[in-house]
Amino acid sequence: MQFPLSISDISLWIAVMAIILLVTSELVSPYSEHFGDFVINKARLRLVALILGASFMVTILLREIG
Amino acid sequence: MISRESRENSKKKGKIREETEPTKVHSLVETLQLLQSENEVLRQELLRYRRLPSSKIGFTLLIIGVPVLVASIAATSTILAFIGLSLTFWGVLFLFAKPTKFVRSTLLDSTALSSYTTIDRIVDDLNYKGKPTYIPPYPKEAYLPEYLKGLKEMIVFISAEDIATTPTIEEMAKKQFLVKNPEGICVAPPGSGLASLFEKESRVDFTKIDLDGLYNSLPTVIMNNLELASNFEIDAENELIHVKIHDSVYRDLYFIEPKLKSLHSVGCPLTSAVACALAKTTGKLVTIAKSQVSPDLKTIEVWYRIVEG
Repeated sequence: MQFPLSISDISLWIAVMAIILLVTSELVSPYSEHFGDFVINKARLRLVALILGASFMVTILLREIG
Repeated sequence: MISRESRENSKKKGKIREETEPTKVHSLVETLQLLQSENEVLRQELLRYRRLPSSKIGFTLLIIGVPVLVASIAATSTILAFIGLSLTFWGVLFLFAKPTKFVRSTLLDSTALSSYTTIDRIVDDLNYKGKPTYIPPYPKEAYLPEYLKGLKEMIVFISAEDIATTPTIEEMAKKQFLVKNPEGICVAPPGSGLASLFEKESRVDFTKIDLDGLYNSLPTVIMNNLELASNFEIDAENELIHVKIHDSVYRDLYFIEPKLKSLHSVGCPLTSAVACALAKTTGKLVTIAKSQVSPDLKTIEVWYRIVEG
């Protein structure tokens, strides 16, 4: 029994999530017709996106060092 | 004789028609406004039913995601691991990023309404004709003796006569409501609290910046930080300062029946906050020269005048 994802898999997943979150945090607006019903803290969403982006950079560095 | 009478009758009928047509148009406009307000109420109701709280979504995703993640370890499946990881992550994210305090915009109107009604009643009762004038306060850091501490508060002076005057320093310092010289009343602006919030959010003291600095910081704080409007434009237009606001959270206030007179003269909380900011930055008196709202209530336009005091 071991975790099936390698560091490169996780790195890729983090990168994709960071992009999705950054785009979402930019698009979500209370005045938008499509995203108007979406009640979420935009600042926190952006913070998580930036943390994920930094985590991606860390995984890249880990891979380079390893 | 008959022809003269019939001519007079036709003249009278013409007059009645002239009088009834504007009345008809007025009643149609009123009906249209009533229908628009009903439409807005129904839209809000629909939104209330449509909205799913983010915490519920978060818990649902977590409940599905965690078992899938555990199953992926047991089955050593990459696909299951990706699905489980994503669901768990989004579940945690929805719980983390849920708004802590969510207030409906209709609540803002209800809370602001009473202060405008009070101002309207006072002005009507005293039969005051003057334009409300925003009087800038002294800077927070400025040293003032104890008896002049009242000058550090932002006030709006409504004069009895239609002339732009201000009360004496002594009267303002005493924090009087009814002022004798010149006759008028001093009230707290509806947007003074909001203007202080602007300063806090943008970390800028409006008394220490110039108008260009204010033009740069106000749209950011109104649109991005506080999300009070979808678009906010401010620019100098001849002697006036023109402000254009799209989708203001206070727009429904302009729709309330009976119409609030002070809403146009003193300004809604947002436009009043802008007036406070302008008065603080320029250190001069500010009045609302003109304000207009588009029929669909999407756009509010206000023209401010800086009065050399």
